[in-house]
Amino acid sequence: MNPENVLEVLHVAKSFGRHPVLKNVTLCIQPGQIVGITGENGAGKSTLLKIIVGWISPDSGQVIKKVATGYCPQDLSIFETLTIEENFAYFGAAYGLGNGNLPGSWKAKKEWLLKRFRFETYEKTLVSHLSGGTKQKLNFSLAVLHSPLLLILDEPYSGFDWETYVHFWDYAEEMKSNGAGILIVSHFVYDRSKFDAVFELKGGILQCA
Amino acid sequence: MRLRHFQTGWIMTAKELLRHRIAFLLFFIIPTLFYAVIFLVTTHRQIAFKLASISESAFLTVSQRNEALIFIGLAAVGILTSFLALNLTQKHAVENRRLVLCGFHTSEILLSKFGVLLCVIVGVGCYVGAMLPLLFSPRRFPLVLAGFMMGGYVYGCYGMLIGAIFKRELEGILFIVLLANFDVGWLQNPIYYAEAQNKAIIRYLPGYFPSQLSMVSAFTGHSIVQPLLGSLAYGTVLLIGAMLIFGWRMRIRK
Repeated sequence: MNPENVLEVLHVAKSFGRHPVLKNVTLCIQPGQIVGITGENGAGKSTLLKIIVGWISPDSGQVIKKVATGYCPQDLSIFETLTIEENFAYFGAAYGLGNGNLPGSWKAKKEWLLKRFRFETYEKTLVSHLSGGTKQKLNFSLAVLHSPLLLILDEPYSGFDWETYVHFWDYAEEMKSNGAGILIVSHFVYDRSKFDAVFELKGGILQCA
Repeated sequence: MRLRHFQTGWIMTAKELLRHRIAFLLFFIIPTLFYAVIFLVTTHRQIAFKLASISESAFLTVSQRNEALIFIGLAAVGILTSFLALNLTQKHAVENRRLVLCGFHTSEILLSKFGVLLCVIVGVGCYVGAMLPLLFSPRRFPLVLAGFMMGGYVYGCYGMLIGAIFKRELEGILFIVLLANFDVGWLQNPIYYAEAQNKAIIRYLPGYFPSQLSMVSAFTGHSIVQPLLGSLAYGTVLLIGAMLIFGWRMRIRK
Protein backbone atom coordinates (compact mmCIF):
# COMPACT_ATOMS: atom_id res chain seq x y z
CA MET A 1 0.00 0.00 0.00
CA ASN A 2 1.43 3.33 -1.06
CA PRO A 3 0.71 6.03 1.54
CA GLU A 4 0.53 8.65 -1.21
CA ASN A 5 -2.42 7.08 -3.02
CA VAL A 6 -5.90 8.46 -2.38
CA LEU A 7 -7.47 5.33 -3.85
CA GLU A 8 -6.25 1.77 -4.14
CA VAL A 9 -8.24 -0.97 -5.84
CA LEU A 10 -6.44 -4.24 -5.29
CA HIS A 11 -7.20 -7.45 -7.19
CA VAL A 12 -10.93 -6.86 -7.34
CA ALA A 13 -13.09 -9.55 -8.96
CA LYS A 14 -16.84 -9.64 -9.41
CA SER A 15 -19.20 -12.06 -11.12
CA PHE A 16 -22.96 -11.96 -11.61
CA GLY A 17 -24.05 -15.58 -11.62
CA ARG A 18 -21.64 -17.40 -13.91
CA HIS A 19 -20.76 -14.25 -15.80
CA PRO A 20 -17.48 -12.73 -14.64
CA VAL A 21 -17.58 -8.94 -14.98
CA LEU A 22 -14.32 -7.94 -13.29
CA LYS A 23 -11.20 -10.12 -13.11
CA ASN A 24 -8.37 -9.14 -10.82
CA VAL A 25 -8.71 -5.39 -11.37
CA THR A 26 -6.02 -3.27 -9.76
CA LEU A 27 -5.93 0.53 -9.90
CA CYS A 28 -4.27 3.28 -7.89
CA ILE A 29 -4.87 7.02 -7.97
CA GLN A 30 -2.54 9.59 -6.49
CA PRO A 31 -3.39 13.13 -5.39
CA GLY A 32 -3.53 15.49 -8.36
CA GLN A 33 -4.16 12.73 -10.86
CA ILE A 34 -7.03 12.45 -13.33
CA VAL A 35 -7.59 8.86 -14.42
CA GLY A 36 -10.06 7.75 -17.08
CA ILE A 37 -11.66 4.36 -17.63
CA THR A 38 -13.37 3.59 -20.91
CA GLY A 39 -15.01 0.49 -22.26
CA GLU A 40 -17.94 -0.78 -24.24
CA ASN A 41 -21.47 -0.93 -22.89
CA GLY A 42 -21.69 -3.70 -20.31
CA ALA A 43 -17.92 -3.88 -19.86
CA GLY A 44 -18.32 -3.46 -16.10
CA LYS A 45 -17.30 0.19 -15.71
CA SER A 46 -20.24 1.17 -13.53
CA THR A 47 -19.90 -2.07 -11.55
CA LEU A 48 -16.29 -1.17 -10.79
CA LEU A 49 -17.30 2.30 -9.63
CA LYS A 50 -20.10 0.91 -7.47
CA ILE A 51 -17.59 -1.43 -5.84
CA ILE A 52 -15.19 1.48 -5.28
CA VAL A 53 -17.82 3.61 -3.56
CA GLY A 54 -19.22 0.68 -1.57
CA TRP A 55 -22.62 0.21 -3.20
CA ILE A 56 -21.85 -3.40 -4.04
CA SER A 57 -19.35 -5.85 -2.61
CA PRO A 58 -16.59 -7.47 -4.66
CA ASP A 59 -16.32 -11.26 -4.65
CA SER A 60 -12.65 -10.83 -3.81
CA GLY A 61 -10.11 -8.05 -3.56
CA GLN A 62 -9.94 -4.85 -1.61
CA VAL A 63 -10.73 -1.15 -2.00
CA ILE A 64 -8.90 1.42 0.14
CA LYS A 65 -10.03 5.06 0.19
CA LYS A 66 -8.05 7.38 2.39
CA VAL A 67 -9.76 10.71 1.88
CA ALA A 68 -13.24 12.20 1.68
CA THR A 69 -14.93 10.85 -1.44
CA GLY A 70 -17.43 12.41 -3.80
CA TYR A 71 -19.45 10.19 -6.12
CA CYS A 72 -21.51 11.23 -9.12
CA PRO A 73 -23.56 8.25 -10.33
CA GLN A 74 -24.44 7.77 -13.98
CA ASP A 75 -28.19 7.68 -13.30
CA LEU A 76 -29.50 10.87 -11.76
CA SER A 77 -29.71 10.39 -7.99
CA ILE A 78 -31.44 13.57 -6.98
CA PHE A 79 -34.80 14.26 -5.37
CA GLU A 80 -37.19 15.21 -8.17
CA THR A 81 -39.92 16.59 -5.90
CA LEU A 82 -37.54 18.92 -4.08
CA THR A 83 -36.04 22.16 -5.37
CA ILE A 84 -32.37 22.55 -6.24
CA GLU A 85 -31.82 24.44 -3.00
CA GLU A 86 -33.52 21.71 -0.97
CA ASN A 87 -31.37 19.06 -2.61
CA PHE A 88 -28.29 21.04 -1.58
CA ALA A 89 -29.64 21.34 1.96
CA TYR A 90 -30.32 17.59 2.17
CA PHE A 91 -26.88 16.57 0.95
CA GLY A 92 -25.24 19.38 2.92
CA ALA A 93 -26.68 17.85 6.08
CA ALA A 94 -25.51 14.40 4.95
CA TYR A 95 -21.94 15.67 4.55
CA GLY A 96 -22.16 17.42 7.92
CA LEU A 97 -21.53 20.86 6.41
CA GLY A 98 -22.43 23.98 8.40
CA ASN A 99 -25.82 25.63 8.07
CA GLY A 100 -24.80 29.30 8.08
CA ASN A 101 -23.43 31.50 5.33
CA LEU A 102 -19.80 31.21 6.42
CA PRO A 103 -17.17 29.75 4.07
CA GLY A 104 -17.33 25.97 4.33
CA SER A 105 -21.09 25.91 4.83
CA TRP A 106 -23.30 24.18 2.30
CA LYS A 107 -24.99 27.48 1.49
CA ALA A 108 -21.71 29.17 0.59
CA LYS A 109 -20.63 26.23 -1.56
CA LYS A 110 -24.09 26.06 -3.15
CA GLU A 111 -23.91 29.73 -4.19
CA TRP A 112 -20.48 29.16 -5.65
CA LEU A 113 -21.48 26.02 -7.58
CA LEU A 114 -24.70 27.58 -8.89
CA LYS A 115 -22.72 30.49 -10.31
CA ARG A 116 -19.85 28.38 -11.53
CA PHE A 117 -22.11 26.06 -13.52
CA ARG A 118 -24.61 28.79 -14.35
CA PHE A 119 -27.84 27.41 -12.99
CA GLU A 120 -28.49 29.90 -10.19
CA THR A 121 -31.77 31.05 -11.81
CA TYR A 122 -33.28 27.62 -11.07
CA GLU A 123 -32.34 27.54 -7.39
CA LYS A 124 -35.95 27.55 -6.20
CA THR A 125 -37.29 25.37 -9.02
CA LEU A 126 -38.47 21.82 -8.50
CA VAL A 127 -36.00 19.37 -10.03
CA SER A 128 -38.82 17.63 -11.92
CA HIS A 129 -39.29 20.86 -13.90
CA LEU A 130 -35.65 21.12 -15.00
CA SER A 131 -34.00 20.09 -18.26
CA GLY A 132 -31.82 16.97 -18.36
CA GLY A 133 -28.65 19.06 -18.56
CA THR A 134 -29.52 21.13 -15.49
CA LYS A 135 -30.37 17.98 -13.57
CA GLN A 136 -26.95 16.61 -14.49
CA LYS A 137 -25.33 19.82 -13.23
CA LEU A 138 -27.08 19.29 -9.91
CA ASN A 139 -26.15 15.61 -9.85
CA PHE A 140 -22.50 16.58 -10.30
CA SER A 141 -22.61 19.55 -7.90
CA LEU A 142 -23.92 17.33 -5.08
CA ALA A 143 -20.86 15.11 -5.50
CA VAL A 144 -18.44 18.02 -4.98
CA LEU A 145 -20.43 19.95 -2.35
CA HIS A 146 -18.08 18.88 0.45
CA SER A 147 -14.87 19.53 -1.57
CA PRO A 148 -13.73 15.89 -1.65
CA LEU A 149 -10.15 14.88 -2.26
CA LEU A 150 -11.24 11.83 -4.24
CA LEU A 151 -13.85 12.33 -6.92
CA ILE A 152 -15.46 9.38 -8.67
CA LEU A 153 -17.55 10.29 -11.71
CA ASP A 154 -19.66 7.94 -13.82
CA GLU A 155 -20.41 9.51 -17.22
CA PRO A 156 -20.39 12.97 -15.60
CA TYR A 157 -20.77 15.14 -18.69
CA SER A 158 -23.29 13.10 -20.67
CA GLY A 159 -25.99 15.82 -20.49
CA PHE A 160 -23.73 18.88 -20.55
CA ASP A 161 -23.77 21.47 -23.31
CA TRP A 162 -20.37 22.55 -24.68
CA GLU A 163 -19.96 25.52 -22.36
CA THR A 164 -20.75 23.47 -19.27
CA TYR A 165 -18.38 20.78 -20.52
CA VAL A 166 -15.61 23.38 -20.67
CA HIS A 167 -16.52 24.65 -17.17
CA PHE A 168 -16.49 21.08 -15.93
CA TRP A 169 -12.92 20.56 -17.12
CA ASP A 170 -11.78 23.90 -15.71
CA TYR A 171 -13.18 22.83 -12.36
CA ALA A 172 -11.58 19.38 -12.62
CA GLU A 173 -8.21 21.04 -13.31
CA GLU A 174 -8.68 23.25 -10.24
CA MET A 175 -9.47 20.25 -8.07
CA LYS A 176 -6.46 18.47 -9.49
CA SER A 177 -4.18 21.39 -8.67
CA ASN A 178 -5.62 21.37 -5.13
CA GLY A 179 -4.47 17.78 -4.73
CA ALA A 180 -7.66 15.86 -5.49
CA GLY A 181 -7.58 12.55 -7.32
CA ILE A 182 -10.29 12.15 -9.96
CA LEU A 183 -11.57 8.97 -11.57
CA ILE A 184 -13.78 9.42 -14.61
CA VAL A 185 -15.64 6.62 -16.32
CA SER A 186 -17.02 7.24 -19.79
CA HIS A 187 -17.89 5.43 -22.98
CA PHE A 188 -15.65 7.80 -24.83
CA VAL A 189 -12.62 9.79 -23.76
CA TYR A 190 -12.85 12.83 -26.01
CA ASP A 191 -9.72 14.66 -24.95
CA ARG A 192 -6.94 12.40 -23.73
CA SER A 193 -4.63 15.29 -22.98
CA LYS A 194 -6.78 16.11 -19.95
CA PHE A 195 -6.09 12.70 -18.38
CA ASP A 196 -2.94 11.56 -16.63
CA ALA A 197 -3.80 7.96 -17.47
CA VAL A 198 -6.53 6.22 -19.43
CA PHE A 199 -7.46 2.55 -19.05
CA GLU A 200 -9.82 0.39 -20.99
CA LEU A 201 -11.97 -2.21 -19.28
CA LYS A 202 -12.23 -5.17 -21.63
CA GLY A 203 -13.17 -8.74 -20.83
CA GLY A 204 -13.15 -7.86 -17.13
CA ILE A 205 -9.51 -6.78 -17.27
CA LEU A 206 -8.22 -3.23 -16.93
CA GLN A 207 -5.58 -2.45 -19.53
CA CYS A 208 -3.77 0.65 -20.75
CA ALA A 209 -5.74 2.32 -23.53
CA MET B 1 -28.91 9.16 15.58
CA ARG B 2 -28.04 12.77 14.80
CA LEU B 3 -30.79 15.32 15.37
CA ARG B 4 -29.84 17.44 12.33
CA HIS B 5 -30.03 14.43 10.02
CA PHE B 6 -33.40 13.41 11.42
CA GLN B 7 -34.70 16.98 11.27
CA THR B 8 -33.54 17.55 7.68
CA GLY B 9 -34.92 14.20 6.56
CA TRP B 10 -38.25 14.93 8.24
CA ILE B 11 -38.55 18.39 6.67
CA MET B 12 -37.69 17.15 3.17
CA THR B 13 -40.05 14.17 3.41
CA ALA B 14 -42.85 16.40 4.65
CA LYS B 15 -42.26 18.91 1.84
CA GLU B 16 -42.40 16.14 -0.76
CA LEU B 17 -45.61 14.77 0.72
CA LEU B 18 -47.30 18.17 0.84
CA ARG B 19 -46.45 18.69 -2.84
CA HIS B 20 -48.61 15.66 -3.72
CA ARG B 21 -51.72 17.73 -3.22
CA ILE B 22 -54.21 15.34 -4.75
CA ALA B 23 -52.92 12.36 -2.77
CA PHE B 24 -53.01 14.50 0.34
CA LEU B 25 -56.61 15.51 -0.33
CA LEU B 26 -57.57 11.86 -0.80
CA PHE B 27 -56.46 11.18 2.76
CA PHE B 28 -59.45 13.24 3.84
CA ILE B 29 -61.87 12.40 1.07
CA ILE B 30 -61.60 8.58 1.27
CA PRO B 31 -62.64 8.21 4.95
CA THR B 32 -65.50 10.61 4.35
CA LEU B 33 -66.71 8.46 1.47
CA PHE B 34 -66.34 5.31 3.57
CA TYR B 35 -68.48 6.85 6.30
CA ALA B 36 -71.05 8.10 3.79
CA VAL B 37 -71.47 4.64 2.26
CA ILE B 38 -71.85 3.02 5.69
CA PHE B 39 -74.35 5.66 6.70
CA LEU B 40 -76.40 5.00 3.58
CA VAL B 41 -76.37 1.21 3.64
CA THR B 42 -76.79 0.41 7.36
CA THR B 43 -79.73 0.73 9.73
CA HIS B 44 -80.13 1.08 13.48
CA ARG B 45 -81.12 -2.57 13.79
CA GLN B 46 -79.68 -3.93 17.05
CA ILE B 47 -77.01 -6.60 16.66
CA ALA B 48 -75.32 -8.75 19.31
CA PHE B 49 -71.66 -9.72 19.24
CA LYS B 50 -68.78 -10.74 21.48
CA LEU B 51 -65.66 -8.68 22.04
CA ALA B 52 -62.66 -10.95 22.32
CA SER B 53 -60.64 -8.84 24.69
CA ILE B 54 -63.27 -8.49 27.41
CA SER B 55 -64.99 -11.84 27.80
CA GLU B 56 -65.76 -14.87 25.70
CA SER B 57 -69.24 -15.05 27.14
CA ALA B 58 -70.31 -11.39 27.32
CA PHE B 59 -72.49 -10.25 24.46
CA LEU B 60 -72.87 -6.61 23.50
CA THR B 61 -75.99 -5.35 21.80
CA VAL B 62 -75.43 -2.21 19.75
CA SER B 63 -76.72 -0.46 16.63
CA GLN B 64 -75.50 -2.06 13.41
CA ARG B 65 -74.68 1.40 12.02
CA ASN B 66 -72.62 2.43 15.05
CA GLU B 67 -70.65 -0.82 14.99
CA ALA B 68 -70.02 -0.46 11.25
CA LEU B 69 -68.92 3.18 11.61
CA ILE B 70 -66.22 2.24 14.14
CA PHE B 71 -65.14 -0.70 12.02
CA ILE B 72 -64.92 1.27 8.75
CA GLY B 73 -63.19 4.22 10.42
CA LEU B 74 -60.45 1.94 11.66
CA ALA B 75 -60.20 0.23 8.26
CA ALA B 76 -59.85 3.62 6.52
CA VAL B 77 -57.03 4.76 8.83
CA GLY B 78 -55.22 1.41 8.58
CA ILE B 79 -55.41 1.13 4.80
CA LEU B 80 -54.42 4.75 4.14
CA THR B 81 -51.45 4.74 6.50
CA SER B 82 -50.14 1.41 5.25
CA PHE B 83 -50.17 2.65 1.65
CA LEU B 84 -48.45 5.88 2.62
CA ALA B 85 -45.83 3.99 4.63
CA LEU B 86 -45.20 1.68 1.68
CA ASN B 87 -44.73 4.66 -0.62
CA LEU B 88 -42.43 6.50 1.79
CA THR B 89 -40.24 3.45 2.29
CA GLN B 90 -39.96 2.35 -1.33
CA LYS B 91 -39.64 5.76 -2.94
CA HIS B 92 -36.17 7.22 -3.65
CA ALA B 93 -34.29 3.99 -2.98
CA VAL B 94 -31.32 5.15 -5.10
CA GLU B 95 -31.32 8.70 -3.74
CA ASN B 96 -31.55 7.42 -0.17
CA ARG B 97 -28.62 5.13 -0.78
CA ARG B 98 -26.63 8.10 -2.06
CA LEU B 99 -27.51 9.93 1.15
CA VAL B 100 -26.17 6.97 3.13
CA LEU B 101 -23.00 7.12 1.07
CA CYS B 102 -22.72 10.83 1.90
CA GLY B 103 -23.13 10.38 5.65
CA PHE B 104 -26.69 9.56 6.66
CA HIS B 105 -27.34 6.44 8.70
CA THR B 106 -30.08 4.18 7.34
CA SER B 107 -31.99 4.46 10.63
CA GLU B 108 -31.96 8.28 10.33
CA ILE B 109 -33.54 8.06 6.89
CA LEU B 110 -36.23 5.58 7.90
CA LEU B 111 -37.01 7.27 11.22
CA SER B 112 -37.38 10.66 9.53
CA LYS B 113 -39.93 9.10 7.19
CA PHE B 114 -41.57 7.44 10.18
CA GLY B 115 -41.73 10.85 11.87
CA VAL B 116 -43.74 12.20 8.94
CA LEU B 117 -45.88 9.07 8.94
CA LEU B 118 -46.66 9.58 12.65
CA CYS B 119 -47.87 13.11 11.93
CA VAL B 120 -50.14 11.80 9.17
CA ILE B 121 -51.41 9.03 11.49
CA VAL B 122 -52.32 11.60 14.14
CA GLY B 123 -53.89 13.89 11.52
CA VAL B 124 -55.91 11.21 9.75
CA GLY B 125 -56.78 9.44 13.03
CA CYS B 126 -58.10 12.69 14.50
CA TYR B 127 -59.96 13.62 11.32
CA VAL B 128 -61.60 10.20 10.94
CA GLY B 129 -62.39 10.07 14.64
CA ALA B 130 -63.69 13.63 14.74
CA MET B 131 -66.40 12.77 12.23
CA LEU B 132 -67.85 10.09 14.53
CA PRO B 133 -69.66 12.40 16.98
CA LEU B 134 -71.54 13.80 13.99
CA LEU B 135 -72.98 10.33 13.40
CA PHE B 136 -73.22 8.84 16.92
CA SER B 137 -71.78 9.30 20.41
CA PRO B 138 -69.12 6.74 21.32
CA ARG B 139 -68.97 6.00 25.03
CA ARG B 140 -65.31 7.06 25.45
CA PHE B 141 -64.54 9.23 22.47
CA PRO B 142 -60.85 10.08 23.24
CA LEU B 143 -60.04 6.38 23.54
CA VAL B 144 -61.76 5.66 20.21
CA LEU B 145 -59.41 8.27 18.71
CA ALA B 146 -56.52 6.44 20.37
CA GLY B 147 -57.78 3.21 18.81
CA PHE B 148 -57.80 4.77 15.34
CA MET B 149 -54.29 6.11 15.85
CA MET B 150 -53.11 2.71 17.03
CA GLY B 151 -54.65 1.22 13.87
CA GLY B 152 -52.63 3.75 11.87
CA TYR B 153 -49.51 2.99 13.88
CA VAL B 154 -49.69 -0.79 13.48
CA TYR B 155 -50.65 -0.66 9.80
CA GLY B 156 -48.14 2.14 9.11
CA CYS B 157 -45.37 -0.01 10.55
CA TYR B 158 -46.66 -2.96 8.51
CA GLY B 159 -46.48 -0.79 5.36
CA MET B 160 -42.89 0.15 6.22
CA LEU B 161 -41.96 -3.48 6.69
CA ILE B 162 -43.47 -4.44 3.33
CA GLY B 163 -41.75 -1.43 1.72
CA ALA B 164 -38.43 -2.53 3.17
CA ILE B 165 -38.87 -6.13 1.98
CA PHE B 166 -40.09 -5.49 -1.57
CA LYS B 167 -38.29 -3.25 -4.04
CA ARG B 168 -41.19 -2.94 -6.44
CA GLU B 169 -44.48 -1.22 -5.84
CA LEU B 170 -46.75 -3.93 -7.24
CA GLU B 171 -45.67 -6.65 -4.81
CA GLY B 172 -45.96 -4.20 -1.94
CA ILE B 173 -49.45 -3.09 -2.93
CA LEU B 174 -50.62 -6.69 -3.30
CA PHE B 175 -49.35 -7.60 0.16
CA ILE B 176 -51.03 -4.60 1.72
CA VAL B 177 -54.32 -5.07 -0.11
CA LEU B 178 -54.31 -8.77 0.74
CA LEU B 179 -53.78 -8.34 4.47
CA ALA B 180 -55.80 -5.16 4.92
CA ASN B 181 -58.78 -6.68 3.14
CA PHE B 182 -58.66 -9.83 5.22
CA ASP B 183 -57.83 -8.20 8.49
CA VAL B 184 -59.28 -4.72 9.07
CA GLY B 185 -61.61 -5.09 6.10
CA TRP B 186 -63.23 -8.30 7.26
CA LEU B 187 -61.99 -10.57 10.07
CA GLN B 188 -61.66 -7.93 12.78
CA ASN B 189 -65.31 -7.02 12.45
CA PRO B 190 -66.75 -8.43 15.71
CA ILE B 191 -69.72 -9.81 13.81
CA TYR B 192 -67.43 -12.20 11.95
CA TYR B 193 -65.16 -12.73 14.92
CA ALA B 194 -68.00 -13.87 17.20
CA GLU B 195 -68.80 -16.85 14.99
CA ALA B 196 -65.27 -17.64 13.80
CA GLN B 197 -63.97 -21.19 14.25
CA ASN B 198 -60.25 -20.40 14.58
CA LYS B 199 -60.17 -17.23 16.60
CA ALA B 200 -56.46 -17.56 17.31
CA ILE B 201 -55.70 -16.69 13.67
CA ILE B 202 -57.65 -13.46 13.99
CA ARG B 203 -55.93 -12.57 17.25
CA TYR B 204 -52.49 -12.70 15.64
CA LEU B 205 -53.40 -10.35 12.80
CA PRO B 206 -52.20 -6.71 13.04
CA GLY B 207 -55.69 -5.23 13.20
CA TYR B 208 -56.73 -7.20 16.29
CA PHE B 209 -55.51 -4.94 19.11
CA PRO B 210 -56.46 -1.60 17.50
CA SER B 211 -59.95 -2.85 16.60
CA GLN B 212 -60.48 -4.19 20.11
CA LEU B 213 -59.28 -0.89 21.53
CA SER B 214 -61.73 1.06 19.35
CA MET B 215 -64.69 -1.24 19.95
CA VAL B 216 -64.16 -1.58 23.71
CA SER B 217 -63.80 2.21 24.01
CA ALA B 218 -66.83 2.96 21.83
CA PHE B 219 -69.29 0.57 23.45
CA THR B 220 -68.07 -0.44 26.92
CA GLY B 221 -66.36 0.89 30.02
CA HIS B 222 -63.88 -1.99 30.24
CA SER B 223 -60.12 -1.57 30.58
CA ILE B 224 -58.22 -0.78 27.36
CA VAL B 225 -54.75 -1.43 28.79
CA GLN B 226 -54.26 -4.79 27.09
CA PRO B 227 -55.29 -3.73 23.57
CA LEU B 228 -53.39 -0.44 23.90
CA LEU B 229 -50.16 -2.13 24.97
CA GLY B 230 -50.72 -4.90 22.45
CA SER B 231 -51.06 -2.34 19.63
CA LEU B 232 -47.90 -0.52 20.69
CA ALA B 233 -45.93 -3.76 20.97
CA TYR B 234 -47.19 -5.15 17.65
CA GLY B 235 -46.38 -1.95 15.75
CA THR B 236 -42.98 -1.59 17.39
CA VAL B 237 -41.97 -5.13 16.44
CA LEU B 238 -42.97 -4.43 12.82
CA LEU B 239 -41.05 -1.13 12.88
CA ILE B 240 -37.91 -2.79 14.22
CA GLY B 241 -38.21 -5.43 11.49
CA ALA B 242 -38.57 -2.67 8.88
CA MET B 243 -35.49 -0.86 10.21
CA LEU B 244 -33.36 -4.00 10.17
CA ILE B 245 -34.32 -4.95 6.62
CA PHE B 246 -34.10 -1.36 5.34
CA GLY B 247 -30.66 -1.01 6.93
CA TRP B 248 -29.51 -4.27 5.37
CA ARG B 249 -30.72 -3.27 1.91
CA MET B 250 -29.18 0.20 2.09
CA ARG B 251 -25.88 -0.88 3.61
CA ILE B 252 -22.64 0.60 2.27
CA ARG B 253 -19.16 -0.90 2.52
CA LYS B 254 -17.10 1.82 4.21
